[in-house]
Amino acid sequence: MSLPSTVDELEAAFVANGYVPERSLSVAIHLAVQMGKPLFVEGEPGVGKTEIAKVLASITGGDLIRLQCYEGLDASHALYEWDYARQMLAIRLLEASGQGVDVHDIMSEEYLIARPLLQAIRRASEGKPTVLLIDELDRADEEFEAYLLELLSDFQITIPEVGTVRAEVPPIVVITSNRTREIHDAVKRRCIYHWIDYPTVEREVAILHKKAPETSDALSRELASAMHKLRNLDLFKAPGVAETVDWAKALQVLGEVELSPEAIDATLGVIVKYEEDIQTVRTAGVESLL
Amino acid sequence: MTPDGETAARNVVVFVRRLRAEGFSVSPQTTGYIVDAATIVGMDNMGDFRAACQAVVVTKHDQIEPFNELFDEFFSGSYVVSLDSVIDRVVQRTDSGGRARIGVAATDVPPEVDETEEVYEVGGGSYGERLMDVDFSELDEDEAAAVAAMLDAMIWSPTSVRSRRWRPSARGTVPDLRRTMRLVTGPKGDLIPLAFTQRKQKQRPLIVLADISGSMERYSEMLLHFIHGAQHRFHGVESFVFATRLTRITRQLRRRNPTEAIASAAKAVSDWSGGTRIGEAIAAYNSQWSRRVGGGGPIVLIISDGWDTGDPDYLALEMRRLGRTAHRVIWLNPLAGRAGFAPEARGMAAALPHVDDLLAGGTARNLADLIDLLQSAGRRGRSAAAQ
Repeated sequence: MSLPSTVDELEAAFVANGYVPERSLSVAIHLAVQMGKPLFVEGEPGVGKTEIAKVLASITGGDLIRLQCYEGLDASHALYEWDYARQMLAIRLLEASGQGVDVHDIMSEEYLIARPLLQAIRRASEGKPTVLLIDELDRADEEFEAYLLELLSDFQITIPEVGTVRAEVPPIVVITSNRTREIHDAVKRRCIYHWIDYPTVEREVAILHKKAPETSDALSRELASAMHKLRNLDLFKAPGVAETVDWAKALQVLGEVELSPEAIDATLGVIVKYEEDIQTVRTAGVESLL
Repeated sequence: MTPDGETAARNVVVFVRRLRAEGFSVSPQTTGYIVDAATIVGMDNMGDFRAACQAVVVTKHDQIEPFNELFDEFFSGSYVVSLDSVIDRVVQRTDSGGRARIGVAATDVPPEVDETEEVYEVGGGSYGERLMDVDFSELDEDEAAAVAAMLDAMIWSPTSVRSRRWRPSARGTVPDLRRTMRLVTGPKGDLIPLAFTQRKQKQRPLIVLADISGSMERYSEMLLHFIHGAQHRFHGVESFVFATRLTRITRQLRRRNPTEAIASAAKAVSDWSGGTRIGEAIAAYNSQWSRRVGGGGPIVLIISDGWDTGDPDYLALEMRRLGRTAHRVIWLNPLAGRAGFAPEARGMAAALPHVDDLLAGGTARNLADLIDLLQSAGRRGRSAAAQ
């Protein structure tokens, strides 16, 4: 499938794929795709950052390649690694058969393990539509951002023993961050930036229609407005949209068709996940959410 | 209204000047992106156009609101109509050879900072030695200057934690197969020397929350010197001050000259010497900052005398939350060194169960001791809380 050529088309494609973006997000995605720049999305957990990449992959019909960041992530896990065990074996075999070992025999593509970044560049260089998701970049440490800087400006990777892989048409890149630390400005400047806020009540209802279609319109409204109130309580960790969808499904499983204080009380653990937050909600009274 | 391309480009150029004057960093490259974005999205729908500009210019959440205000003010019609005359002036100035700075005055250009570091004699003699033990509130003006100089010059050496990143090491215990393979293909190939790695060391972050309310007045300045020193000799320090509300002063303290840095921090704070609401300040840190700057198991240093006008239960709750995200919570109380001190101030008593160390902080000697503690805080268990 080809890419939408206007903001309106892109928005429609997202909605058709079960994602209801706010207008400014549609604009940002459209720009990122058209300008060939990475999209950098920040926001609280559970507001649908990762989902953007999945939907983009399904719209373009391309593969989603995901790099989950974590502390200590380095080149050998993000770019490429050699398959040492096989290299050692190959050396033994060559020696046993009396042949000399040539460096080129064991430092070739055959012994290369491509990690997500290399996979994405390779696929893009073959002209296949590709979406690269670099998830939770804030979890990786600052040293890793330096690798990314180079990759994001040139979309090429050089492996000394093999050569350079370069993507003429860059893959669509989506970078997410939960903002547990500030990402360096140099990375952000190369990107299209968007902050995803919690949705408005209307948009959350629309999301529920897409994500939990069995839930009745009335119940969806009740859930969305309860969530809105919940996020205004002083909670340690406010629930995201993911929690709203889970909540609708949980009520579905329990066979509840409307939001009663008892139903909220029984399902509180689905939406609030800290003991003291549960206390806060109980103190405020579950009825106050109705 | 669809302005022709040239007018649009001119509008963008002037808008960028306005943004820069308001403190946004907009590179010439970004200016190009704005023009690209305007071309892709079009200017028919102002909401879309604004979202597009925002997406290429803004790099932080808290910039969004100021950006939108500026954008609305700029593109709200009247301004745009009168643009041409502005542009003409810009063009004229540029033509005459100078750098164009029109439309808005470049505000707040910092004066050239004199970077020459003064060398102080620290503790070199009985005068310095004596001052080390004098309570900050009892110093006269000259002595205060001398003590501030000592605080500026104190030596910090950081405590470190093990990072999850690896570095090459001859004494490491984990074989580095990547480097080994490189070595194998080198001149000594048949020997297969193993290369080793070990975990890198990384510095533990330090978060400072300093009370600057009325009751702390006589200590605040000295303590700011101390915090300034911490920030410059210790990597990864975040500094906040509070009285009734929390203000982050990390950026202001980044200036090298301590006097200027503290003056600039003072300007950023709106509630100097007001009442104290420690609970609210810590709550603000927990909810707004802890997840942004408090990663990696920080040491949290709270500096306060514990005189609190807020709700002690609230303070206790927020202290408990704080303790959960911090590696260690140290409370520095300027009064704690005095004879007969007991942690009885309402706030102090409420917070005490959630504090790992309660230390005195009224003299330069106290602060020197604190630095020693920070260097070992990665290893020692709870100590003074049991006092």
